[in-house]
Order: sequence, then C-alpha cells, then structure tokens
Amino acid sequence: METEGFRLPEGGITQRIYIDDTTLRDGEQTAGVVFANDEKLHIARLLAEVGVDQIEAGIPTMGGDEKDAIKAIVDLGLPISVLAWNRAVVSDIQDSIDCGVDAVAISISASDIHIQNKLRKSREWVLESVRKSCVFAKNAGLYVSVNAEDASRADLEYLLQFAENAKQSGADRMRFCDTVGVLDPFSTYERVKLISDEVGIDLEMHTHNDFGMSTANSIAGVMAGATYVNTTVNGLGERAGNAVLEEFVMALKYVFGMDLGLRSARFRELCEYVANASNRPIPTWKPITGGNLFVYESEGRASGVLRDPSTYEIFAPGDVGLQRRFVFGKYSGPSVLRQKLRQYGREMEEEQIPQLVDTLRDKSIALKRALFDEEVLQEYEDLRRLGVNIWRS
Amino acid sequence: MAILTPLEQELRLIDTTLRDGEQTAGVVFARQEKMRIASLLDEIGVPAAEIGSPALGEHEQETIRAVVGLDLRLTPTAFCRAQVSEIEAAAACGVPSVVVSISTSDVHIERRFGESRAWVLDQAGAACRRARELGLQFTVSAEDASRTDLGFLSEYYNLGVSEGAERVRYCDTLGVDHAFGIFQRVRDLKKAISVPLELHMHDDFGMATANVMSGLRAGADGVAVSIGGLGERTGNASLEEVAMALKYLYGRDLGMDTTRFREAAEYVADSSSRAIPVWKTIVGTNVFAHESGIHVDGVLKNPANYEVFSPEEVGLERQLVVGKHSGSHTIYYKFKEFGIELSPEESAEILALAREMAVDLKRALFDKELMYIYRDLQKAKSRRQ
Repeated sequence: METEGFRLPEGGITQRIYIDDTTLRDGEQTAGVVFANDEKLHIARLLAEVGVDQIEAGIPTMGGDEKDAIKAIVDLGLPISVLAWNRAVVSDIQDSIDCGVDAVAISISASDIHIQNKLRKSREWVLESVRKSCVFAKNAGLYVSVNAEDASRADLEYLLQFAENAKQSGADRMRFCDTVGVLDPFSTYERVKLISDEVGIDLEMHTHNDFGMSTANSIAGVMAGATYVNTTVNGLGERAGNAVLEEFVMALKYVFGMDLGLRSARFRELCEYVANASNRPIPTWKPITGGNLFVYESEGRASGVLRDPSTYEIFAPGDVGLQRRFVFGKYSGPSVLRQKLRQYGREMEEEQIPQLVDTLRDKSIALKRALFDEEVLQEYEDLRRLGVNIWRS
Repeated sequence: MAILTPLEQELRLIDTTLRDGEQTAGVVFARQEKMRIASLLDEIGVPAAEIGSPALGEHEQETIRAVVGLDLRLTPTAFCRAQVSEIEAAAACGVPSVVVSISTSDVHIERRFGESRAWVLDQAGAACRRARELGLQFTVSAEDASRTDLGFLSEYYNLGVSEGAERVRYCDTLGVDHAFGIFQRVRDLKKAISVPLELHMHDDFGMATANVMSGLRAGADGVAVSIGGLGERTGNASLEEVAMALKYLYGRDLGMDTTRFREAAEYVADSSSRAIPVWKTIVGTNVFAHESGIHVDGVLKNPANYEVFSPEEVGLERQLVVGKHSGSHTIYYKFKEFGIELSPEESAEILALAREMAVDLKRALFDKELMYIYRDLQKAKSRRQ
C-alpha cells in the first residue's frame, strides 16, 4: 500500500522546477478548440512574458498551417525553449527539425492496454521505436523528452525498462503521462519516486483532470523528484483538461512556500485571452482566476475580510490580477451593508441597519440573486422615505 | 476493479449543495428548487444533506420545514453556528440532525472574533449541550481546521464528543491543505478521537478532491460534497468526482444511481445560473468527446484506451468530433453512423477538406457540415463524369 510508513520528503521541494506549458498543443487538441495562428503567436508571447521556461508549440507532422504557426513562434525569438510534439516516428521528427524548434517530445504509449489495444504492437517494438527516433533527434542536436503515454496504467517493471531505454537512447528527460487521469497523489508519488530512484533521469509530470486531481498529482510528482511540469492555461486540454498553470504556480507558492518567480499578476489577463481564443469562458468560480473568488456576500466571510483579509484570503486579489468586491445577497448582513453605504458615501443610523438588512435579504430571495449596488442604494433611499419593507410577503 | 489501493472503511457522504452551495456569492435557490434538489439527492442515494441555515430567518426556516416535510430517506441536517439560539431554531424546524460550527484557528479567533480559544470552547460546549437536550444528533465542525493547531483541534473535537457529538468535521475552509499534509493531520486526529471524522474541503488551489482522497486514505470516515462542486469561491469537493473516484479508482461503490449525475448537475446549474463548463470533470459534455486522430482511433479500437467508465454511467453520450486534429478513421466512422460507407480515398479527401474548414472557422464541424462537404464532392464528381 502506497501510504504505509509514508513520510513527507525532508525539507519539502528543493530542486529547481521548470514549467513546460502545453496550451498550444494539448490545449488545442481539446475537442472543438482551434487557435488561429495569430492567437498562437500571442499566447506564446504572453507565456514568455509571464515567465514559463518552455512551450510546447504544436504538432509539426499535422502539416500545412500547423508547421507555419510553429515556425512563426520560433521566429519570435522568445527567451524560452520551443518544443514540438512527435510520435516516435523519424519522419515526425524531421518535420519538427524543419520548423526550427530546439526541443522535441517523442511520445509513445507505455501501458499494455495501449500497446495491445491501440498500437497493436509489442513492448519491444515500443522500445525500438523510441531508440530509433531518439537517436535521430539527438543527432540533430535537439533537446529530447521521451513521453511515456499512459504511464499510470503501465506495468511498473516495464515502465522502469522504458525509462532506462529512453536514458540509454540519449533522452534528456522522460515525461510521465497520466493520460486518463487515474492516479491520486500517493500513487503518483510512488511511481515517480521509483523511476527517479532507479533510473535517475530528469522527469516531467503530465497529468489529466478526469477525477479532478491533476494539479495535486503534478505537485506529488514534483515532491517525488520531478523537475518539469507540463501545464496549460485554464487547464485547457482533452476531456476534463490538464494540470492548470495558475493553480500549480500559486499552490507551489502559497501552500509549499516555493516561488517560481512567475508574473502571477498577469494570470487573469493570460487566462482571459486563452478563454476567448478557445471560446471557453472562465467560470466565475475557477480556482485562482475566477471572477467571483474575491467577491464576498456572506456575513461571516465579509465581516472577517473587512477586519483582516488574512481571515479568508491566502493571497491578495492583485496577485493574480483580480479585485475584491462585496455584494449584498441572501447570506449578507450588517457588515456588507455598512461597507456598501461607506463605498457610496451614504450614512445611516445604527438602529435602522437591521431593518434595511431584512429588506435587502427579502429582495434578494425574491429576485433569486445577489443585488446590484444600485438596488441596494434604491432600497436605502426608499426606506429613508417610506420606512417600510415592501418585500415582506 | 480498483486501479489504486482499495478503501475499505465505512463511508458516509453528506451533500451541502443547499447550504454551502447556496452560500456561494450570487446564488439563491427558490424553495421549490431546494425541495427538488433534495429529492434528486435522495433518489440518487445520497444518505444525508445539509439543507439550510436557520440563522437566515423565517423564510429559510420555512424552506427547511418544507424539505423535512418531504419525508425523504436522507437525513436532513441544518447548519448552525455554535449559538444556542440557532440550535433552538433548527430544532423548531423539525430536523433530526445539526452541524455545530465555529472557527478554531487562531487567525480566526483573534482577528475575526477578537476572542480566545477558551471562548470558542465555551460557545461550542453550550451549543452542543443544547443540541443534546433537544434530542438532536449533531456533528461538531471546526471551521478553518487546516490552519488550526492540532492539539487545540483535538481538544475542541473531544469537548464535542464528550457532549455527545456523533461525528466531527474537519473544514479546509480556504483550501490550503495538500495531499500529504492532510494525510498526516487526519492520521493524527484519528488517533485522538473516538467518533467518525468527516472532511469538508474547498477547491481554492484545485486540490479539493485530491485532498479528500488523501484524507480517506488516512482513515477519514465521511465527506461533505456538493453537486457540481457548487460552494463559496471555487467551491467544494464535488459529489460526482468523489463518488466516481471512489468507485473506479478505489473500488468502492457507494451504491448511488450515478446515471442521474448529469441530470442533477444540470438542474443545479440551471437553478444557480451557473452553466456546466463543457470540460467539467465527470459530467461535462466534452468529457466523452474525442477529436484528435490518435484518441478517436484508440477509443474506437477499445474504449478502455481512453475511458475509465462509460458515458452512460453518468448520463452522458460519447461523441466523435471532427476538427483540426481529426484523422481519417473519425471520418469513416462518422459517415458509417450516417449510413454511408466511405472508401479510404473518400475518407482522406473529406478529412483534408474538413480540417481546412475547421481551421478557417476556428471550431469543430457540425455533422451537417460534414454532409455538405460529402454532397459537394459527390456533385463535383458527377459533373466531371
């Protein structure tokens, strides 16, 4: 059992962590999502400005437009590594070389489920394909990541063999892919630690969110010794998506105290751009960048934050490009009301506050939503004028 | 069959869509909606639900009574702060069970309440005693437990247990726990307390469900969940993720009717005016949509290549989407669905046109558009002949 005798690694995360963002590859691979080439360029620029170390720019072997986009990204001359995605096929890698990238990912399945049901080949064939393509890429002077697709369902012995084979073939790192998102932090930790200890190759985490655990699993991999993390903006990616750039960076900073130095104040801007280009709006409740995260309605929360933000905030809204707001709704009370009145320079006798709170709560229930500030002010004026609650049924 | 080490302890889920879910800024459920959601939860087989906060006043109390009046199999539970008056209001609503909640972290005690740990124990003790006198079952809940000193947390829980609490609740109110940290905290707490421990985890860093799973691995006995994860800020661990992860990753089938997950998520989404993102875990419509050539090919050969459970299990359908990343297999199977058998050349020809069109339109193609491509090709051919 993975948890038996488990001890946190001494000293937490100590190695330097690199972000390899794949919004432009796995993100675009999402069913229904297509980025225009201009959008790809803009996203690449934003990612470089925010401070990621490497971007996975696309799949050259798809041909046509895709190759042009990757070349154009390389031509931007950004101060980051540009990586292209390949199957373990020499002609794919030739297409990548044509695009001028400095790094390639060579991807092939490592699980028997995939080897037998999808590739319909043997384990040995997989190793041989990796050898051939890896040697070809290294001879061309490229940085090489060998991707173990479906590593989470792979036989452990074989996975070690796969990693050793990648290392012997000259790969600079191996990408551990939880392709179907079926690991949890403990099982991720166990697998990654084993590869790290036994094979000693740089490791990258690529996790999917099918059961909602992608970010936690990437962190578990890092705790087990992985040095690269493959993220996407907004978690955009196939099915339920990938490990989320913003979540990973902020969790590392605020839960683990490790600052990767990214410009997080531009996260909201970056996330909005990708949301617009992929036609997938940011839900208001999205971790880190959702528009509602610093909006306070309930009296308990609001009164706490008004006294001291540290009661309910781990980082300031400005850290991710958001703002703090208060709205009056069903769960609001005097604190929110006083804040609203202060905000608009209105005054009210303390003994009248409870009555206005009741009026506003009733109105919120009747309208089935929080109130707009204008509505709060209107009720304030009406109460001053009429002194009755028209929302009481 | 479990993919990971199976979880074997007794587990209870309690849904909080109607309480923490509604507490989300901007969300208000109508009474009828609350009654419907409670019924859906009951039909799905969720054993308990937090249905509201009596402190909110008469309207809410009426709603709680109405839900209790449905006489469901699930245990309706009211949420109370550690105040005697709230416990009494809950009892007057007819619920058999309450949650007694207060913050236990020093940061909350000092900066929010301006009080001391002793004051917290007094408040909680009085509220628990009143609950016991009124014959209520009760859970003692520690808000901001993740930032609370473990020694004080045990003391607080044990005070509740000595007053008759049937379970205790650990709230990661700000979502700042991580998988390995919560594991150790739960393991330590389990040694110190004699009643079931329930987890209430928030998703601020996207780790709510992972934290739940780690807590369960450490021996926790229950989880507070909400439909679609609805809850304050980023929300809570979602019912669907927890139930499906338990079933498929840890081999633990709680016997719920998961086929109604999509329906329940849609109902809550509509009544909270928060559409389900297409990529939402478990219940998003995109979860079983496959576009890229590699994935479609894999899924057609054997769904196990890219799917852990079948779409019907959560009330969804598998879709093959034709777009920029599609391969000729997808085209072939799509047309087979339409009743047209394509030759490999035709598939390749249509694929090239479809990809080009997807790039131009910046989206996947509708089925109709595929048929237009096909018909245009047929027309062009017959003209040539």
